[in-house]
Amino acid sequence: MPLILAVDDSPSMRKMVSFTLTGAGYQVVEAVDGQDAFEKAQAQLFDLVLTDQNMPRLDGLGLTRKLREHPQYKTKPILMLTTESSDLMKQAGRAAGATGWLVKPFDPARLLDVIQKVIK
Amino acid sequence: MAEAHQESSGSGDFDLSQFYQIFFEEAGENLDLMEQMLLNMDLETADDEELNGIFRCAHSVKGGAATFGFTDVAELTHQMESLLDKLRRHELQPNAMMVDVLLESADISRSLLARHQAGEAGEPPSSADLVRRISELASGATPAVSTPVPAPASAPVAAPAPAVVVAAAETPTVKGERQLEIRMGPLERLDQVDPVKDLFRDIAGLGEIVDLPSDQPNFRVFKVGTSSSNEDLLDLFAFHVAREHVVIRDLGEEADSTPASVTWADDPPPDAPLAPAPGFGFFDGAPGAPGAAKTVASAAAAEPRGTAKAGGKAAAAPLAQPEAATIRVAINKVDQLINLVGELVITQAMLAQNSRALDPAMNQQLLAGLADLDRNTRDLQESVMSIRMIPMSIVFSRFPRMLRDLASKLGKKVDFVTQGEATELDKGLVEKITDPLTHLVRNSCDHGIEMPEDRLAKGKPETGTITLSAAHQGGSIVIEVRDDGRGLNREKILSKARERGLDVSDQMSDADVWQLIFAPGFSTADVVTDVSGRGVGMDVVKKNIAALNGTVEIDSAEGYGMRVSVRLPLTLAIMDGMSVGVGDEVYILPLSSVVESFQVKPDAVSTVGQGSQLVKVRDEYMPVIELEKVFQVPRFDSEKSSDIMVVVEAEGSRVALLVDELLGQQQVVVKNLETNYRKVPNVSGATILGDGKVALILDTSALVRRSRH
Repeated sequence: MPLILAVDDSPSMRKMVSFTLTGAGYQVVEAVDGQDAFEKAQAQLFDLVLTDQNMPRLDGLGLTRKLREHPQYKTKPILMLTTESSDLMKQAGRAAGATGWLVKPFDPARLLDVIQKVIK
Repeated sequence: MAEAHQESSGSGDFDLSQFYQIFFEEAGENLDLMEQMLLNMDLETADDEELNGIFRCAHSVKGGAATFGFTDVAELTHQMESLLDKLRRHELQPNAMMVDVLLESADISRSLLARHQAGEAGEPPSSADLVRRISELASGATPAVSTPVPAPASAPVAAPAPAVVVAAAETPTVKGERQLEIRMGPLERLDQVDPVKDLFRDIAGLGEIVDLPSDQPNFRVFKVGTSSSNEDLLDLFAFHVAREHVVIRDLGEEADSTPASVTWADDPPPDAPLAPAPGFGFFDGAPGAPGAAKTVASAAAAEPRGTAKAGGKAAAAPLAQPEAATIRVAINKVDQLINLVGELVITQAMLAQNSRALDPAMNQQLLAGLADLDRNTRDLQESVMSIRMIPMSIVFSRFPRMLRDLASKLGKKVDFVTQGEATELDKGLVEKITDPLTHLVRNSCDHGIEMPEDRLAKGKPETGTITLSAAHQGGSIVIEVRDDGRGLNREKILSKARERGLDVSDQMSDADVWQLIFAPGFSTADVVTDVSGRGVGMDVVKKNIAALNGTVEIDSAEGYGMRVSVRLPLTLAIMDGMSVGVGDEVYILPLSSVVESFQVKPDAVSTVGQGSQLVKVRDEYMPVIELEKVFQVPRFDSEKSSDIMVVVEAEGSRVALLVDELLGQQQVVVKNLETNYRKVPNVSGATILGDGKVALILDTSALVRRSRH
C-alpha cells in the first residue's frame, strides 16, 4: 500500500486530501507544515510527498529542497499542491527539484489521476 | 455562484460537503488572525514576516474556498491575495487605504461564508465594488511589471533548462475601453467557462462579454469590451480556466493574436501525454516524474546504498497517525455533563455525610475508598467545569477593530490596551457580557476621549488611551473599561437630572451622582452622534449586568478620565461553600468570600446609633449582621444564641456575620432559586445538602451592601 505524506497548513485541505487518498487505498500521513513534514519524512520513508507551497516555518519549496538533499528522497516523487499557478512558481518548483505541480483548486478525481501517474 | 458550488461538490464520487464545516471554522480563524495582524501592523515598519503572515491567511482562505466551490469567497480573497502578494514582494508600500479595504473584504468574506454556511439563504452581500477597489489598489501602482522581481526571477538561472519566453510584454494598462477577442481552450467541458460570463455580470465596471461562434469544438470564443488590463482579466479567469488556455487578442489592433500568457519553452504542449489535463504538470526529467524512468534509474544507480537502506527503514518504521489537537462538541452535551457531575457531587456529599457515623477502625477500607471518591469527584468536577471556561481574549479581540473604525469615523486618535486577556470566564457569561462591554468601550471613545486638538490644548498626549482589563477578585471577575478622556461633569449630570425631574441635591456624593447616568434615557452627550448618546445606553448596560448578578461602578475625575468597573460573579454551577448553622437552618457561604471566623465575646460587640452593631477585630471595627434577624429564623431553644462571627468580604468591604455554629466545608451544586421559586433578597441560590435538605446560599455582596445602609 503506497504511503503518502500530505503536507498542508490548512486542516480542511489536509482532511480532504487525506480522505480522498485513503478512499483510493493509499496510506496517508498528514503534516502541518514543511518542518513537520521533514521530521516525519525522516522517521519513515514515503512513496510520495504531496505538499502545499505557502506554509509557516518551512514552505513547500524549502521542504522539496531539503528532501532532495536527503539520499532516500533523491528520486521520490514530490508534487507541489498549490494555488500559485504562476509560472515563476513552477520554475521555482522545478529548480527546487519537485516532480510536478497540481494547481488548487483541484477536484479529488484529478488529484487521484495525477498521483496514479507518478506512483507505480 | 450557488450552482457552481453544487456542481463542483457533485463532481466525481466525492462529497466535499463533509469538509465544509471544518473549512468554515478554519476560514473564520484565518480571517480573524488576518484582521488582528492588519490592525497590529505598523505601516511604515511592516516586516516581511508580518506581511507574509497576512498573505498566508488570505491565501489559505482562497485555496479552501476555491476547492470547496465557494467561488464568491474565492474571488474576493483572490483579490486580497494579489494585493497582499504585491505588498510582501515590496512592489507596493502598504497604506491605510489598503488596510481599510482589506479589513472590509475580510468582513464581506465572513458574511459570504456565513451565507454559505446557512445553506445559501438570503441575498449575498455584494463584493463587486470591493473586488474593483482592491484590484485598483493592487494595479494602481504596478510599475514592477516591467521589472521582474529579483528574488524569484533568479531561480530559473539555476534550473536545468532556463528558458523564459515572455511572449508580448505585459499589455500596458489601457485607460479607455478596448474591444478584445478572447479564446479559451482546449476545454474539457464547454460550460466550464460559463462563470466567466457571470464575472462580467457581477463585477461592476468590468465591461461586457458576448459569445462569438467558435471555429473549434472544444474552444469558446468571446467578444469583450473592457478597460481592464489583460493581466487583470487573466487573473479573474484563472479560477475557471488555466492561464495557458486563454488567448486575448485586441480587436482594435490589427496585430496578430497575442498570447498574453507566459510560455515556457520546455513546457510540454497541452496535448502531450505527460500533461493531458490543465492544472497540473510534471517537470521533464524531474525525479519521480512519469516517463522519466531513465533519469530515475540513473539517479537510483548513483545512490544504491541510500535506496536500499530506505527500503529497509520503511518496513520497520512505525506508522505515525496524525493527531487532532481539538475537537468541537455541542454545548448541550457539555451542559449535560456538568449537570451529571453536579448530581455526582451531591451523591458523593451524601455518602461522605453518612459515613461519618461509621467506626473508622471497622470500616477502614470503605472509608479509604470514600476518600478516593471525594478526591476523584473534585478533580472530575474541576475538569468538567474548565470545559466551559473560555479566555476573555475572545471578547477583547473584537474591540481593536471596532475602536479603530470608530476613532477614524470620529477623527480621534485612540490607543487600545488590554490586560488580563487570559482571565477565564464561563462561556455563557462571556456571550452576555460582550454587548454591555461594547457599549462601554464605544462610550469611552465617543464621549470620553477628546478630539486630538482639544487634548493637546489641555496638555494631554494627542492620542487617548482606552484600557480594557479583566481580573479575578475573590469569587468574582472584575472587568474594567478605563479611558484618559474628559471624565464625567458633575454639574452637567446634576442639571440634566433636574431637567428630567429626578430627585437630586448638590450635596450628593460623587459616586451617587455618577450612578445617575444609569437612569433610563439619561444621556449627557452634547451632540447625539450616530455612535452613541441616543439615550438608550447605560441603563441597558446596567440592566444586562444586573441580570447576570453583576454590579457596575463608576469612578471619574473630570479632565482626567473615567473608569467603569463591571463585577460579575463567576457563577459556577458548583462551588466551594462553608455551611453555617443558625437555629435549625443551614446556610451556605461562598468559601471564596470567607475571610476568617472566631468566637466572639459579648463585650466585643458595641451598638451604635439606630441599633446597628459593630465588632472590633484587631483594632478595626466592622459592621455585624445577625443572620437570625435577616432571615427571621425561628428559635425554639432560647438558651442558645449566636456567638460565632464569620467575616466575609465582598465588593471591597468586610462584614461579620453572626451565626450559631460552623458546620463544615463542602462543595455544593448551585441551583437557581429564581427559576425554581422566586428571587429572595440576600440569597444568590440554593443547594441540596447530603442529607437531602435544602440550604440557601447567601449573597455576600448583598449583605455587604445592606450593612452600608
